[in-house]
Amino acid sequence: MSAIETVRDRYRTFDDQRYAPLVKGVGLFGLLAALPTIIEIDVAGMELAALLSLKVLILTVIYAYTAQAWNIMSGYTGQFSFGHAAFFGIGAYATQALVVDAAVNPWIGMLVGGVLAGAYGLIIGALSFRFKLQGHYFALATLAFAELLRFVVTNMSELRGANGYFKAFPRDYGAEYGLVAFQFQNDLPYYYLIVGFLLVVTLVSWLIKNSWVGLYFFAIREDERAAASVGVPSFRYKLIGVAVSAFFTALGGAYWSMYFNTIRPDTVFALFKNVELLLPAVVGGPGTLLGPIVGSFIVTPVSEIARTTFSDINGLDRIIYGAFLVAIVIYSPRGVVSWPSQARALWERVRGDEEVSE
Amino acid sequence: MGHLVTSVAPLPLQGGGLGRFIDPFVQFLTDITNLEPVLLQLLAFGLLLGGVYALTALGLTMIFGVMDVINFAHGVFLVVGMYSVWLVSEMAGISPFLGIPIAAAVLFVLGVVVHVLTVEPIIEAPQQNQLIATLGVLFIIQSAIEIVFTPDPQQVELSLGSIQVGGVFIPLGQFYALVIALGTMLAVRAFLNRTDLGRKIRGTADNRDGARYVGINVRRINYLTFGIGAALAGVAGGSIALFQRFDPFTGETYLINAFVIVILGGLGSFPGAFVGGLIVGMIQVFGGYYLPGTTAQVLIFLLFIGTLLVKPEGLFGGAEA
Repeated sequence: MSAIETVRDRYRTFDDQRYAPLVKGVGLFGLLAALPTIIEIDVAGMELAALLSLKVLILTVIYAYTAQAWNIMSGYTGQFSFGHAAFFGIGAYATQALVVDAAVNPWIGMLVGGVLAGAYGLIIGALSFRFKLQGHYFALATLAFAELLRFVVTNMSELRGANGYFKAFPRDYGAEYGLVAFQFQNDLPYYYLIVGFLLVVTLVSWLIKNSWVGLYFFAIREDERAAASVGVPSFRYKLIGVAVSAFFTALGGAYWSMYFNTIRPDTVFALFKNVELLLPAVVGGPGTLLGPIVGSFIVTPVSEIARTTFSDINGLDRIIYGAFLVAIVIYSPRGVVSWPSQARALWERVRGDEEVSE
Repeated sequence: MGHLVTSVAPLPLQGGGLGRFIDPFVQFLTDITNLEPVLLQLLAFGLLLGGVYALTALGLTMIFGVMDVINFAHGVFLVVGMYSVWLVSEMAGISPFLGIPIAAAVLFVLGVVVHVLTVEPIIEAPQQNQLIATLGVLFIIQSAIEIVFTPDPQQVELSLGSIQVGGVFIPLGQFYALVIALGTMLAVRAFLNRTDLGRKIRGTADNRDGARYVGINVRRINYLTFGIGAALAGVAGGSIALFQRFDPFTGETYLINAFVIVILGGLGSFPGAFVGGLIVGMIQVFGGYYLPGTTAQVLIFLLFIGTLLVKPEGLFGGAEA
């Protein structure tokens, strides 16, 4: 038995243990927690921080978070939403409107936003599923619901129209910089906070995946009519998927609005925000737990590094980004997380050929 | 990606109250009962805009209808058409009207290249992959235009003036664009109904597997359809360049409205695209006049959602491509 096979067998034995997911999760999030330190380690006079700033890390984890939330609905139940900016924007706007206009603590605003987004998701879902929209039509309908909100907010003077909100100081809502105020004076606590958010949504996803709810979700994704025929209440479970996904996406929007200084309809409800929110999940592997996280660590830094490296030619970064998107969907349609198993299949095929030739 | 959104103008903010929702409609009805001449003018503008909108949706509805691909690069194809016409008239001094067929040719080639490189390899993959691939194409082409021609707005030097018909003011640039739009729609319809290739395209749209069984080369139909769809975007973009300034990011608004028109009119339906274009054009012109800010766009999306829910096959759904 070769060394590789020994390692593989050991890994398989480990993988069968009940504590395996816990160990993997602790390992993954331990790595995430250590990243700000790792990027500053000096290797032969080079440190990763020159390429990968803490700000990029925060953005990366934000999109890992939103993609994980999107995944609950679109990856698990298979209802491809192209309008998650609606939920993201609702979270951002609910938080800021309450903080700035009513001096309500952002954590409360965030939960209000989550509930509102869940309700909006239920409306979208109830209408679309009742009328049996599928595929492209469902994607376009969700996009329309998001664009609708963009124009509604742009035209509402109560929500400050196209100008949007400027984040308030903590003292304006009776708090001091810190966790309670949802505002910090440097980036590091922001990073740990969003890693915490990601941990929660990943945990929820894991719980869903490993329960009968997840089983119903996957049954609906694979063949909705067959699922319905054996008694899966597909309408209700698709609605659950939308509502949970919308709720968590809104929390991401709330975080966004407390991290950056301003929000406008053109930023949080933007047409391409819909894409940015879901892209890591598609790149990483939709329907998987690890996909959104891995995907975001590929997509977001590429975009940010290209932006800083080619800053003298405006637009070159987006050419690279675009080419990257095309390449990734052509060469890896099932996502990056499928690479190990594909490599294993390839390796076994090569080995099989060898055995035959012997 | 924030600067992709360029065309949303700052708005005059109005006071609250229900009045702002009701007053415009009261005003509209009063104008109708009084037979205000402004209505005729708005109708003319709506027709002019709607015709061009219909043209922008033709290529999209064709690709969507035949290949079941949502082409996100369609908006930027329009922009390539605009720049082609502008280049031809500015650099080579050729009339912008002759630039439009050149734009169509350029876009046909570009469309085939884009199809072969990005869409064809994943035509059987889940549809979100096609969406992301065409989105990547959008970024590449848009940024390439931005780098080569700067992000500044450009304009085709053309002063066509305007005419007055019975008190209605008609800008000739838009009028010619409407004529081109109508001509193109009739030509494409004739092509699809009367030529052999057109029939094959329609057959493929109806049933891809069936088309394969009767010996149609579906691969060839695919890239031709993508090329023709792109060429139609070239004609549409070129026509818009006759009367409007444009920049590398102009495509986004047209793209969204083109989606609305395609769904309103019915997937793959040309008469549907025309009617859908007119509806969107009319709402935008009348809404722009009576409603504050960009509220008209809210109406368009409500109509869009309503259509998707109640009649997803569109007003002319089920009709041939």
